[in-house]
Amino acid sequence: MVNVTVDPLTRIEGHLRLSTEVNAEGVITDARSSCLLFRGFERILQNQDPRDAALLTQRICGVCPTSHSLAAANALDQLFGVADSVPKDALVARNINQALNTIASHATHIYVLWGPDLANPAYRDVLTPLGETGTAVWKELLGRFAPISYRLDGNTIPAGSSYLAAIPEKKRLHEAIAVIGGKMPHQVTSYPGGYTYKPTIADIGKLSSYYSQVMDFVSSYTLRVPFETWIENTYKASSPQSAVSFLLDQLRGLVDSSISGSNGNNFSREAGWGDAEFYAAFGSELVGETLLGLPASLKHDRTGGYSDSSKINFLAYGAFYRPENGDGYDPNSPAGDRFQTSGIVTGNLEYKNFDASKITESISHSFYEGSEELHPSKGETNPIGDPAEIRYDRGSDSRYTWAKAPRYEGMPCEVGPLSRLLAMKEPLVTGLARAFKDNGYSPANTYTRMIARIQETAIIANELLKWVTEDYDPNGKISVHTDLSMAKDSEGMGLWEAPRGALGHWVSTDSNSKVVSYQPVVPSTWNFSPRDSAGTPGPAEQALIGTRINAVENSLGVDYSNPVNILHVGRSYDPCIACAVHTLDLTGKNAPGILRIV
Amino acid sequence: MNKNTSDISVKTEKPDFFKMDRRTFLKTACLLGASAFLGTYRTEIVRALETAETKLVWLHGAECTGCTESLLNGGDPNVLSALQALDAKLAYHETLLAGQGIFVDGQPANTTELNSEILVDELIEEGNYILIVEGAIPNGPEGSGRFFMVGNRTFKELFAKAAGNADAILAVGTCAAYGGINSANSAIAQLTDYRGVAFTKNDSSGGMLQELGVNKPVINIPGCPAHPDWILLTLSAVILGKIRIPEDFPSVLDGYGRPKAYFSEDVHDECPRHDYYERDEFDTEIGGYKCLFKLGCKGKRANADCSIRKWNGGTSMCVQAGSPCIACVEPGFPDSSRPFYTQGSGGFDGRESDDIKGDDGKGDGVDSYDGTSSESDSYDTDSRRDSYYRIGDD
Repeated sequence: MVNVTVDPLTRIEGHLRLSTEVNAEGVITDARSSCLLFRGFERILQNQDPRDAALLTQRICGVCPTSHSLAAANALDQLFGVADSVPKDALVARNINQALNTIASHATHIYVLWGPDLANPAYRDVLTPLGETGTAVWKELLGRFAPISYRLDGNTIPAGSSYLAAIPEKKRLHEAIAVIGGKMPHQVTSYPGGYTYKPTIADIGKLSSYYSQVMDFVSSYTLRVPFETWIENTYKASSPQSAVSFLLDQLRGLVDSSISGSNGNNFSREAGWGDAEFYAAFGSELVGETLLGLPASLKHDRTGGYSDSSKINFLAYGAFYRPENGDGYDPNSPAGDRFQTSGIVTGNLEYKNFDASKITESISHSFYEGSEELHPSKGETNPIGDPAEIRYDRGSDSRYTWAKAPRYEGMPCEVGPLSRLLAMKEPLVTGLARAFKDNGYSPANTYTRMIARIQETAIIANELLKWVTEDYDPNGKISVHTDLSMAKDSEGMGLWEAPRGALGHWVSTDSNSKVVSYQPVVPSTWNFSPRDSAGTPGPAEQALIGTRINAVENSLGVDYSNPVNILHVGRSYDPCIACAVHTLDLTGKNAPGILRIV
Repeated sequence: MNKNTSDISVKTEKPDFFKMDRRTFLKTACLLGASAFLGTYRTEIVRALETAETKLVWLHGAECTGCTESLLNGGDPNVLSALQALDAKLAYHETLLAGQGIFVDGQPANTTELNSEILVDELIEEGNYILIVEGAIPNGPEGSGRFFMVGNRTFKELFAKAAGNADAILAVGTCAAYGGINSANSAIAQLTDYRGVAFTKNDSSGGMLQELGVNKPVINIPGCPAHPDWILLTLSAVILGKIRIPEDFPSVLDGYGRPKAYFSEDVHDECPRHDYYERDEFDTEIGGYKCLFKLGCKGKRANADCSIRKWNGGTSMCVQAGSPCIACVEPGFPDSSRPFYTQGSGGFDGRESDDIKGDDGKGDGVDSYDGTSSESDSYDTDSRRDSYYRIGDD
């Protein structure tokens, strides 16, 4: 057995270590996920004015600050007793802000953080011996996705066309957020009871203009099928089967003209292969090789899956208020109440209603002491402060991370675009997940995670236009009155979705309206959680176990020094490790005024 | 040449940037902004570049990646072309480069092309780079630095190595400059013991460099996040030799190590809501359009040119979007500004404290601000602007 450790896993937010045991066949037999940094975040909110949370907690993460800020605003709405009266137009403004943040974050992940792995030299080694098609595919991978300052065999490689084009779009999306959020990162407009800024008609015009510019990028680079056609036939398809059939028909048309037709191995964007179409066809063995008859694929559907469907759930808290419900919203996010619904989807793809009271957390493998299996709002955390005990090399039975292990009814849960789209029964992703399951694959894998992220970007972009042009009324009310006295001896729960998954903030206050406890439970804590007290590994750990470390199912033999599939699997969750680790409580289990961690 | 003709030619031609003295250059470049400066003067910049290539090594400490996100929002048309114009090579950056740390049975594997740990060690050993730090550095627990490990070592150790061989250091963002939110007052602040690069809060003897006994020139570019113009224009000035390191520091940087070019203005003075302040018209509920002073705005004590420069390509800024300035560029942030929505919080009430303005460079020493209690801090940034170097503005 060989230990292969990636530390740090770069091109993510924060600092993550993935340590694996790999057998002689190059298959991962054990995996540990370690969050490496401890900041002590919630503690600074203790005894403070709770209203500061919406600005302060977004400093947990500069990639998804809007999400933290809005999770905090939701918790504060309830804390101040105004959740049922936040004006509809404030809710729409929050939706717009979040939608832009999600799209910007997804685009950054797809093109800047995740995409460069497609230019890994392992794919050159596998693909180019396969003749003209393989060589042409490698040329596209390198030409589109290579990152900056990239070198191969000592030669400088220019940054990829898609990579380069995506950076100005990210910039543009942040400008759009600034129009209604002041600045970005760390927009400033979330506040209990509403929104600090009332967007004007001119702002709506600007947002529409930004929208069409971003959509120009999408149609030039990402998706060559006309956007409306895509939405109509996937997201709005009559059934999961018809959505998958539409995708396959589109791809088959491209394959026919590019391989069999006169177009001889032309996989360029000009030939109709947007980045999404290209990855949809070549990323998957089932879609690309089995269903489309391609001579090769990256086989990402063979990586990052769950071998035991009884040990994993998919969890969504739900996000985006429904403008048609008018003023106010339900802080419990009941099923169907939000545009992206809450829900639990089992490993066998069965939907169940979500209930926030069923969350517990384990610390048996984390650098903390204390009780097990407590609800986040009751949690306690005593960090191990002995430097000699902070070690990452003592195996899977030891304490090995600063993240806790959240569980839902005792189950590890994957969170993120895939979970959200399964919960909302989005036809394309649901159809693909079923197809993988029916053909003996894990429905969740590196490929479906990435397809879900791409599809979610499209769906939210589609809805964003409606919020901007139809739902927002610049003459509407933007806030209701709040003052600090309304937050005495109170509690609040903010359930929301960050781009990378379910995000919850819990807050409670004392008789002076000062914060007693403040606690975020964040997406990467779910995805990169360690083992729990029953020894069940977290989602990313499960996804690594059983994965072959090298490109295309180790087709060129085992090379421990370039474990590209560890990189793909880890990054497919879009980790945000600054979020995953927050705080500690030094003062003991039951001391008053203690902040807790997840 | 006829005088009138000469006047016309001045108006129609670009000023010759590179013959300008340092102060004029900094002021002019600052007013133009990074996009216009790097875009308009591309050819001149190429000609003025003295060295072939400037290597940048960017380390991520305890941070949120917001400053990297902010950097990606800068430049013309983007940050990559801006760096190209400056012939600056981003030799190491965790979020943007291809590599990652790869260890096989504990030993570094592969090469610099895919293994970022081998790459960063090699770059540090070669020397001849500008070190850029994003994020604070934990010293705890017990001075071990083990609250943050990366690549089988503490970040403190990596930082020590990288700082020791750097030509100069840019501390980008309030966390790297002063500890920022990581160093905020709490019951655990002593345990985690977070440090900025050359300061912790306003204490110029409490930075990680001082803890390590390493002496390097440091420029602080605070902000939560730092504005991309502040980062790119400072880099431009350093690379183009318009800030000589360290000879020019006393005249170019303020008492907290910040370039005066961007951190001398008050957010208040050019605030888009300034007229309401003058007319005593204040918002007392969010969602309005008047002065935010009574909602806790700290614009009068925030030394940054946000009101002129604005954010995200000149789109907006905090106060414009109805949210009080929280003075995120100040060394005591966030304690010196909170509670954010309370007038006079952080021990400062700008209405009564106008008399502390009128900077004459005679500071009373940074140590008088202990940064330990948000209740009792008295905070007057202006009078301390030059105290770090104990030298007045030239």
